[in-house]
Amino acid sequence: MSLLRNITSGLRSLFFKERGEKELDEELRGFLEMAAGEKMKQGTSRKDALRATRLEHGSVEIAKEEVRSSGWESFLENSWQDLRFASRVLRKNPGFTAVAVLTLALGIGANTAIFSLVNGVLLRPLPYRNPNRLTMVWEKSRDGSPENVGYATYLDWKAHNKSFEQLAIYSSWQPVLQVGEPEQLSGLRVTSNYFRTLGVHPEIGRDFLPEEDAPNTNKVVMLSHSLWQRKFNSDPDIVGKPINMNATQYIVAGVLPASYQSLMNQDPRGGAVKIWRVLGYDISQPWACRTCHHLVAIGRLCDGVAITQANAEMDTISAALSKAYPKEYDDIGVILTPIREQLLGPASTPLYILLGAVSFVLLVACANLANLVLARATDREREVAVRTALGATRGRIIRQLLAENCVLGLLGAAAGLFPAYWMPNVLASIGAGDLPRLDQVHLDWRVLLFTAGVALLAGIAAGLAPGYRLSKNNRHDSLKEGMRDSGSVASRRLRGLLIVSEVALSLTLLIGAGLLLRSLSRLLVVSPGFDPANVLSMQTSVIGQRFNDNTVVRQYFADAVERLRALPGVQSAAAASQIPLAGNMDKYGFHVEGKIHANPEEDPSAERYCITPGFLETMRIPLLRGRDISPADTATAPQVLLIGETTARRMWPGEDPIGKHVKLGGMDSPWWTVVGVAGDVHHVGLDAGPDLQMYIPHQQWPFPDGLMVFVIRVASTPVAISSAAQRAIHSLDATQPISRITPLESYVGLSVQGRRFALILIGAFATIALALSMVGIYGVTAYSVAQRTREIGIRIALGAPRGELLGLLLRQGMLLVVCGVAAGVIASVALTRFLGTLLFDVQPTDLLTFASVVLLLVAVSAVACFLPARRAMSVDPMVALRDE
Amino acid sequence: MTEKPSDLVQGTLDMLILKTLALEAMHGYGIAVRLEQMSHGVFRVNAGSLFVALQRLQRAGLIKSEWKATENSRRAKYYALTEPGRKRLNTEKQEWGRQVAAIARILEAS
Repeated sequence: MSLLRNITSGLRSLFFKERGEKELDEELRGFLEMAAGEKMKQGTSRKDALRATRLEHGSVEIAKEEVRSSGWESFLENSWQDLRFASRVLRKNPGFTAVAVLTLALGIGANTAIFSLVNGVLLRPLPYRNPNRLTMVWEKSRDGSPENVGYATYLDWKAHNKSFEQLAIYSSWQPVLQVGEPEQLSGLRVTSNYFRTLGVHPEIGRDFLPEEDAPNTNKVVMLSHSLWQRKFNSDPDIVGKPINMNATQYIVAGVLPASYQSLMNQDPRGGAVKIWRVLGYDISQPWACRTCHHLVAIGRLCDGVAITQANAEMDTISAALSKAYPKEYDDIGVILTPIREQLLGPASTPLYILLGAVSFVLLVACANLANLVLARATDREREVAVRTALGATRGRIIRQLLAENCVLGLLGAAAGLFPAYWMPNVLASIGAGDLPRLDQVHLDWRVLLFTAGVALLAGIAAGLAPGYRLSKNNRHDSLKEGMRDSGSVASRRLRGLLIVSEVALSLTLLIGAGLLLRSLSRLLVVSPGFDPANVLSMQTSVIGQRFNDNTVVRQYFADAVERLRALPGVQSAAAASQIPLAGNMDKYGFHVEGKIHANPEEDPSAERYCITPGFLETMRIPLLRGRDISPADTATAPQVLLIGETTARRMWPGEDPIGKHVKLGGMDSPWWTVVGVAGDVHHVGLDAGPDLQMYIPHQQWPFPDGLMVFVIRVASTPVAISSAAQRAIHSLDATQPISRITPLESYVGLSVQGRRFALILIGAFATIALALSMVGIYGVTAYSVAQRTREIGIRIALGAPRGELLGLLLRQGMLLVVCGVAAGVIASVALTRFLGTLLFDVQPTDLLTFASVVLLLVAVSAVACFLPARRAMSVDPMVALRDE
Repeated sequence: MTEKPSDLVQGTLDMLILKTLALEAMHGYGIAVRLEQMSHGVFRVNAGSLFVALQRLQRAGLIKSEWKATENSRRAKYYALTEPGRKRLNTEKQEWGRQVAAIARILEAS
């Protein structure tokens, strides 16, 4: 109540200032009149009485000032005055203002841009209800890594646990939507409780029903909002309508809200999940087994159950299962990963590194601004002295200076908002690798708030030290004409310190950028194991009743490859169930005859490429021993396969693998014979060493893959062939969808994109920081040269060799640089290890990088010192001496 | 008056003003005079501090003001106690009494 009254009364006196003033004036005058009247009654003359009361009570003006400044509104009023005064001062010094705003805009802009990225990717809430109760649930494999689960395991987990309110599973699904042009979609098959687990409700329609989650029932799907808009023209009556996918009819159950964007598929090559269908498994199905590790589990913890508690319970359940089915498990427990960590964890390290790096840029910008303000402060000493003499307190003077800097900061922030505004375009053009939620990166209130905060903080930080220095000056000396340089020792020391920290910060950034550059160059020379140049890849999957026959599928792909080969300009072509570096993952258990573990689940698994003849040739994967797969390896011929070099070395050390036998997948499968060894390829990424690999003839695989990737080697640029290649495949069957038409080189590029992104940004920050520090060094040297013009003139007049003088001035600047370099090297040694995962094949304390960056910085600083110092050499002693 | 008027104990001015207004509404000068009289000239308030205190009390809702004619038919702002002001005066009085008694006990103990 009284707070409210205080506020309204304060506001009233702010807005009806004149009326308030008048009333106060009248009241005070009345007071003094009455006091004087009292005295006159005792016989004093009116004049004397008035004088006496003024002596007793002070003047009306002072009393008024006291009353006025006691309310909170006077603070606002003063601040407003300060701001107006600050703008006036800045307008009068356009050069200083421009340089200062540009400096801040660079610092703040870089920070705003990175913050908008961090905000979009990490800080925005996840699109689930109460996301911190959601965890991924994995089997923990022998090496401690998380592993998918089989359906039977999921059923047991679900039946026995008491920790989870809901437990759901999903697997990836790539249906072909036959609405308009056939289109391959990224989708998920999910248990009916999947959306209830996440806490997401359809915007229209209904959720999946438990009874639909069984084989041979209604096939129902959920559409994403964007798919609904794009393919179904936002049809409000879509619910219950049939749609065709993979030549099968599905019924639309509902459409999810626009605010829900699936994060479950983070592969930038695949695109976001747009469609969901019920899993529809049954324990009797062969793919529902315990060893069929292809499902991902996600659970919502019950209220009050801690994640460690849940983990302990799940470990117990898993131990019991391992005991009951010793040959079907090789796991050693269960891993629970909070969903935030699962989805955003991998992205957070590089983002926080970027945020750290960019804060260095801001610090350098602040130091530079502080330097500018300090330099100007010397010119303003007289102004401050006059104001102090007129009664301004030190606090009031510092406040005035801070107000100026805040205005600068806000101007800088306004300019610095542009980078954040453009950030989405920048991300699109340079490519950010596999950062999730990039579509969420844009200006919002958090970014604006951050920018304003950073701007004010930067302004205040840059103004505090100079303000303090300035207000402490001895006003006596400053008032005297000619005493220009009072307090200069302390302020010179402060400026030196600022330069040292600028150099140190820039050096740290430069070293970070240097290490990333070395990593990237090391990575780019890693051979992927195949030759990606001039190869186009495109994906297709067969749909339709006629493809239920395996021989039709095999023949279809053989024919398609033939048609592609016949195209003009095509050197060779082939198809494979997956290709390296394209984000595919398909592994099969690999059981070597005579070396099978007691529990076959402990045998390793290998990446499986189901290929048509000519794949090695098209990819230019070298054949190291034995023979390649040929068209003669038909469905009726003996079953043969190729293995990778690592597979040969690891499984048959010191032996010839040719002619050896292996089983693939389950133990009930037939024996396959190794006929050749191919060179290793990098499947996951250039930075991940090759794993076990095997190549199987598509003609011989018992369930021939319907989803295949064509690779086409051409003489010229691969994109040129794309439309001819699509026509060639459609000439065989026009109803088959073709997607991911991508040159292999793009996949290689994508696999290094994350590092490239970090390098570009940190490189840009380092460049900005370096430029700012050089401006700082230049400024300090130029300033000290200007101040010592007279001294230099005398020295020259007395015959000092100019070379020696130059050395003197250079030494002063370079001493600061050397101190900065020393501090920067120490900081870098301490900090570069945080780059950890971003580095490749380079030590965080790589000597070469450190040495070359130090050299670069010293060389550039020498130039920045030399330019103003050289000007001092051209000083005419007569002019310099007359100057004072 | 041989002794110089004393400065008021920090924070007591508000209480004294409230006390002065407890009897009747008064204008600024009246309050100053009454304070001086009641303290037998020990306390003298200058105009600046008085009006700062009046503004503070008014904003806290403890007093209210109104322009009225004085006995000499001038215009003056009269201040009067509000209900919360009256309550505050009572609690302050009690608190003051407690403190004075306590201080006295300390000073007399020896």
